[in-house]
Amino acid sequence: METIQNLFLQILKNQKVNTVETTAAGITSTQISEPPYDEALVLQVANVTIFYGSFQAVRDVSFEVKGGEIFGLLGPNGAGKTSTLSAVEGLLKPKSGTIVVSGFNINKKPLQARANMGVQLQATSFQPELNVKEIIQLFASIYGVSLTTEKLHTILKDIKLDEAANKRYGQLSGGQQQRVSLVIATIHNPKLVLLDEPTTGLDPQSRRQLWERLENLRDNGSSILLTTHSMEEAEAVCDRIAIIDHGQVIAIDTPQALIEKHKNDPEVIRASRKGKITLEDVFIGLTGRTVRA
Amino acid sequence: MQTIIPNTGTALATLFRYDLVTQWRNRRSVLLVLLVPVIILISWKGIIDKMGGAYVLATCITIGLTAIGLMGYSISIARDRDKGVFQRLRVAPVPTWSIMMSRLLVQLGMILLTTTVVFVVGYKVDSILLSPLGYALGYLAALAGGAMYLGLGQMIVGLLKNAETVNSATRLVYFVFIMVGMFGEMGILGNQFKTAVHWSPYGTVNRILAASMQPATWNSTASLALLATLGYAVVFSFLGIKWFKWNSR
Repeated sequence: METIQNLFLQILKNQKVNTVETTAAGITSTQISEPPYDEALVLQVANVTIFYGSFQAVRDVSFEVKGGEIFGLLGPNGAGKTSTLSAVEGLLKPKSGTIVVSGFNINKKPLQARANMGVQLQATSFQPELNVKEIIQLFASIYGVSLTTEKLHTILKDIKLDEAANKRYGQLSGGQQQRVSLVIATIHNPKLVLLDEPTTGLDPQSRRQLWERLENLRDNGSSILLTTHSMEEAEAVCDRIAIIDHGQVIAIDTPQALIEKHKNDPEVIRASRKGKITLEDVFIGLTGRTVRA
Repeated sequence: MQTIIPNTGTALATLFRYDLVTQWRNRRSVLLVLLVPVIILISWKGIIDKMGGAYVLATCITIGLTAIGLMGYSISIARDRDKGVFQRLRVAPVPTWSIMMSRLLVQLGMILLTTTVVFVVGYKVDSILLSPLGYALGYLAALAGGAMYLGLGQMIVGLLKNAETVNSATRLVYFVFIMVGMFGEMGILGNQFKTAVHWSPYGTVNRILAASMQPATWNSTASLALLATLGYAVVFSFLGIKWFKWNSR
């Protein structure tokens, strides 16, 4: 009997499980496992290649994001960061490779994968006719989150926008827009939060506040994948980083480990400006000094 | 571990609700869509007996439909695409088709509103009264014609990426359609033009509207015009969907 049970469990473990039940809020589906799916990994990007016409933007990129981890994707302009992120979001279909979010392949089960991720795009906006309150209500509803008036008020208070609740999105400052955008990205408590250059254009106070919010998200169990040009940011908040250049991952580790590993490279030493090797020196050393378009 | 995906119906209803709010807050553009047909109804009061009530109503609805498809729909789609509104919605767990379907439902509402306004103003100002069947078939013909103009709008946003270019192109096409359509149908631009306009998207919609409002006058030419309208709608929509890019970059 035990052998049959074990065999059954083994089959369940190795096969897709797709139990779907309908609730008032929407459809609740049990996770579909795609072997080899590791539950400790919230995101698995394996051998992803992306082309724009004949131009190869991303070449065989692989990395993983663990549960409760802040993972940074760093690279010069045009290195393939946003393309990789767009593929994870399902906005771009890679020519080859697989992307699995919380057990769901983004190309095979896009709705399930998207339900497990929250996204803050680099260039995003909301309908300019809607106010902050309506935008939050709209996205809460399409993520299947029921939002009471009290809960909405708490959210607005938390992001210090309770007085701007009836303002249109376009009337908010950059920092306020960023806070609304982050609230929407995390309104459904996703397992994975994707942020494309989240601190671009923010003042130091807003940037620090955002870092604290990211750390809180991580402490509450979400994993974060962010792209950034700021080495200070990568060092301050990222548990691990991947440096991507010419569409390829050229280094992947913790910021400290990368500094340790490359501190004696001649290119890194040459890039150093103040004697002490920083992550930026390692980045310049690995990706070169040439300014990218 | 469970994943919550909102029911498609719920998601579509939510999108529709907020698209309606957006449309309501753009009341000025709605009024502009209604303004031209109403002005024509008022200014043509003296020649209605000569032209026929159904023909006048059909012309006004056709102009309204042209404005909805070309200016209302395509300009809003181009603007939201440019601002990244669609990209934000596309990364949410809703089927992509529901994003566009909700927009189309709002425009279908606009088609019914425009048709109703033309019928009401036509009755109040010009005393044009149709039979109940004429009104019912008029609504159906308006939906068919509206679908064709929405398809044309979709084709323009599929063909042109830049929101500003879409804005100016649709205004130009709108102007050309109305001027060439109205004057061409009246024969002012010559007989060859008249025939061409008869079978143009403007002419076929005008004809099915006029014939449907007076069911007794429906003939084989009207049937061919209906087929041509549906054919235009299919071709424009197909090309519009095929060429459409969600991102303007």
